Amino acid sequence: MAREFIEVAAVTDVGNVRQYNEDSIAVDAENGILALADGMGGHRAGEVASRMATEVLVADLAAATAGMRPDAGPRGTIFALESSINRANEAIFAAGRADAKYGGMGTTLALAVFRDDRVTWAHVGDSRIYRVRGARMRLLTRDDSLLRDQVELGVISAEEASQSHNRSLVTRALGIGEKVVPHVADDAAVPGDIYVLCSDGLNDLVEDTDIELIVGALQANLPLAARHLVQAAKDNGGFDNVSVILARVREPKVAERRGWFARFVAWITGRAG
Amino acid sequence: MAKLVLSTGGTIVHQCFLEQARVTIGREQGNAIVIEDPAVSRAHAAITAVGNDYILEDLGSVNGTLVNGTPVQRRILQHGDVIALGAFHLRYVDSRASSDIDLERTMLIGALVPPTGSAPADAMPADPDEVHVPSARTPRAHFPKGYVTRVTGPRVGETRELDRVVATFGMPGEGVVVVTRRPRGYFVTHVEGRVHPRVNGQSIGTETRELREGDVLEAGPDRLQFHLR
Repeated sequence: MAREFIEVAAVTDVGNVRQYNEDSIAVDAENGILALADGMGGHRAGEVASRMATEVLVADLAAATAGMRPDAGPRGTIFALESSINRANEAIFAAGRADAKYGGMGTTLALAVFRDDRVTWAHVGDSRIYRVRGARMRLLTRDDSLLRDQVELGVISAEEASQSHNRSLVTRALGIGEKVVPHVADDAAVPGDIYVLCSDGLNDLVEDTDIELIVGALQANLPLAARHLVQAAKDNGGFDNVSVILARVREPKVAERRGWFARFVAWITGRAG
Repeated sequence: MAKLVLSTGGTIVHQCFLEQARVTIGREQGNAIVIEDPAVSRAHAAITAVGNDYILEDLGSVNGTLVNGTPVQRRILQHGDVIALGAFHLRYVDSRASSDIDLERTMLIGALVPPTGSAPADAMPADPDEVHVPSARTPRAHFPKGYVTRVTGPRVGETRELDRVVATFGMPGEGVVVVTRRPRGYFVTHVEGRVHPRVNGQSIGTETRELREGDVLEAGPDRLQFHLR
């Protein structure tokens, strides 16, 4: 088996208050695919929507990337993400129409695919993706949320936002219409970088500076860092379900990346890197 | 459903539910809430509904708008807020405040439409990191205050406050520990390295251990004594 390109730790937790966990996470470390979703909808439909999203996406993308030529390039991966997200959207939308108890269900999404020294990510709704490089963290996604719109348009200030009740109002979601337009971006996957995918149950309760501190300080032990993030959200109240996926880009071995034999093996097995 | 309760001298004179997108308050007839008091301006303040929020704005009144005794230009109303208007008090009552948890449920809403002429939401700032939306509230939990003092080495006697969620000690590769601040106290856990941390001379392996007043913690080359304030 090829050496995995990323190291992953993931945790999902119901939190302190909720009865059910409507978040779902799915990881295929071997193929470098991470998916996290925060479902919404009456009764337990949110659970169904988020699980459908993560499971459909991971399976679909594993198949799509396996069938891709090694030289398909970044555009190929972006196209695969957009297509898979729309297939997941259609599946959730159809399920919602077929069964009244699932009517109106939907889900947010944070998705990352690591492939050929690149990382491609996508999101819908208010689930986030951050990148920690060294000890510094950056937010890579723009929440589809009323609160974010309010702050950007100057309706309220960033300080006032902490007083708002609009935190959980998302403006875009999977499964609520026939089509969805995800936000997709990509970049070089730099060894040592850590990508953080999370549901709003984390970043609503733990300040970015504390997320940065925890991931930065505990990056030598990713499972411990993931557990600490969830614990911090619960210690600060844990009003919502909380989920986090951490993925570190491994140091490549020069021979694996550059050697003609390794490249040849990658080519015949359909895997590069 | 949120409502406003108008009172003067301790007597409730009027109540209204916030059902409209915008409610104006002033002395002049034509305001949704008319307050006949010389200290109130003709058009004094307005309350606008945005999603789950009601945002109070002063409309350039002569005497200003006070919420809970503090002058405000704009404020997202919070359950129990009292707006002072001359001899009158307007109390904001949000019945949803008692069911706080339901408010946290993720729901779908239409995107906010930018003012005419500005860019659509999709074309707004290229770098998401430029706009910071802070976390929800200051934690309701209370955290203890602890610190450690070095008991050996060149920096003996040096004190470090444990005022963040985590603090790490030790040396990468050899032995690193994390001290975690939680509502119930401080806890120590091994992070990495071949040497596991010791508390009062005993190895804790990979278990998490609560720190007690006076405990001596060994992490790699560091020897530290833990204290609570």
